[in-house]
Amino acid sequence: MSRGSLTWAALAVALFVVIPLALSLAGSGYAFRVVATVLIFAILSVSMHLIMGVGGLFSLGHGAFYGIGAYAAALLSTKAGLPFVATLPLAGLAAALLGALVALPTMRLVSIYFAVATLGIGQMIFVTLLNWVDFTGGPLGIRGIPPPSLFGLDLSDALGTYMVCAAITAFTVLVAHRCGHGYYGNALRALREDDQCAGAMGIDTVRLKIEVFSIACFLAGLAGALWSHTTGFISPNDFAFPISILILAMVVVGGLGSLPGALIGAALLILLPELLRPVGDVRQIAVGAVMFGCILFLPKGLFGEVSALAFARRQLGAAWTTPDGRLAGWR
Amino acid sequence: MPPFLDIFFLQQLLNGLSVGLVYALVAIGFTLIFGVLNVVNFAHGEIYMLGAYAGLVAIATFAPPFAIVLLLVAASGALLGFGLERIAFKPFRRFRDEASLKSKAVREATLMSSLAVSIVVREVTEKGFGADMQIVPPAFRLQEPIFLGELVVIDGQLWILGAAILMYAALQYVLFRTDVGLSIRAIASNPLGAQMVGINVDRTVIATFAIGSLMGAIAGILIGLYLADITPHMGFGPGVKAFVAMVMGGLNSIPGAVVCAIFLGVMEAVATEFIAQGWSELVAYTFLVITLVFFPTGLFGAGRERV
Repeated sequence: MSRGSLTWAALAVALFVVIPLALSLAGSGYAFRVVATVLIFAILSVSMHLIMGVGGLFSLGHGAFYGIGAYAAALLSTKAGLPFVATLPLAGLAAALLGALVALPTMRLVSIYFAVATLGIGQMIFVTLLNWVDFTGGPLGIRGIPPPSLFGLDLSDALGTYMVCAAITAFTVLVAHRCGHGYYGNALRALREDDQCAGAMGIDTVRLKIEVFSIACFLAGLAGALWSHTTGFISPNDFAFPISILILAMVVVGGLGSLPGALIGAALLILLPELLRPVGDVRQIAVGAVMFGCILFLPKGLFGEVSALAFARRQLGAAWTTPDGRLAGWR
Repeated sequence: MPPFLDIFFLQQLLNGLSVGLVYALVAIGFTLIFGVLNVVNFAHGEIYMLGAYAGLVAIATFAPPFAIVLLLVAASGALLGFGLERIAFKPFRRFRDEASLKSKAVREATLMSSLAVSIVVREVTEKGFGADMQIVPPAFRLQEPIFLGELVVIDGQLWILGAAILMYAALQYVLFRTDVGLSIRAIASNPLGAQMVGINVDRTVIATFAIGSLMGAIAGILIGLYLADITPHMGFGPGVKAFVAMVMGGLNSIPGAVVCAIFLGVMEAVATEFIAQGWSELVAYTFLVITLVFFPTGLFGAGRERV
């Protein structure tokens, strides 16, 4: 067995056996709920990592695409009565479709102008969710969304919910790994550094940006569907501007362009406010302070891009090896 | 006369004009800071909010005359601008060569640091004062109606108009008639060149932040007393609208930003005539996206490198 598949197997065992076992032994629904939230936000931060870390597109409206996924899943299951297996991919597709529609006109903007455009579009989506009362339920949101179930198998208990979230997180990480650690990721990193230069080298920058934005929106839509099915209740405020900032902060704290960093950032920024709960509700202050500290003192993030790429090549088997065992380029 | 052009419509236009002037006051500071540093100051909305709180604290503690309140707010605004610059922007100006001045990473670092500072400031204010609306003593509210025939003008609207004209004129004076203004314009046009001819960049940047934040804080207290609505989250809306006005106006053009801010305020008021209140929020964002997609250099902007 190669080193890469060993690491993947160890990660899978940790995600699907060790963590649920430990949580079951701790025996509290609260711990399961917190970890499920961490997993949902891990999906969001990994998708943000694809856009912002790898692709260099500064998005300030990612929470809105998460919201589109959540509302699509909630409306499809409560109004059309579709099962979880259908709403999950459809929610992703809805978000991806909207993402592609948004990306088409805005992808020619660079850096801060793109950020402002996504901020505006995110706010437009939020205002629509808030005011289109007949369709989205307005500020009251949507209640009574059925919990996840798989072909008649009920997954509404804590362990089942965890397993669903863990499976989708694993899928997301695999997608981000395939997109980010390889030739495709190299092309994205090239256009992040200098898109005019990348274009001159023959990379179709606009097409690549639209593709990666749609993929990330698809993943965010999946996260939204998970959120609405596991909580059973959604309202527009779950997807407002502060959530976009929270996702952004996760990627920045973890390290821009680093896949493990995105996971670490999500875990840190969800768990830290939970641990600080005895002090009071300081979630936003903690997010702001951690983000500021990281930008100032750890500009590379907790798990920087260079070490993340080295990790992917060495531990995840994402590189060719020469006959004498040295690493040579991407697989 | 078309049927909608009645007295109510004119009244809406008037209210929209005063809202637009508030956006303009915020946008002037925003554009000034952007023009000089070429970075976005996401904490400008929080300066606006803190200006309102500073005025409120002054009123609540010793109820000074209105002019003293304005002076205190202006002073605290300038002080806050200075602090903001030291905390969120100074640490990222240590790189001085041309490559990093233009680099994306440095620009985005200041964007995110100002965003982070704004979150912390807003939440700490919420912890300190509570998330609810603050009660403004009735004597200090700027809500006295003045009747002009059938139209009603609120005295707060006149204050806002006066402040906008006065501050715009003062800014033009500072920018074009004083040494500080000269160095601000020099750095805005070419930071490296300005440094080479011996302009103190650090001091000029501080002056820029102090002037811009002073205007934001004054706008905050005036609108706070006019609407009697002071909350920790009051900065987000006008901050975003000012940003939209800046982008529409062409980023480096203060007159352009002012015109577009007034236009936005009026358009929002007109929109409420035809659509529900909640939806009128869409107006500004729609203008923003249309501007960025179809007029990337803004409506009044000169050409710039790339958007």
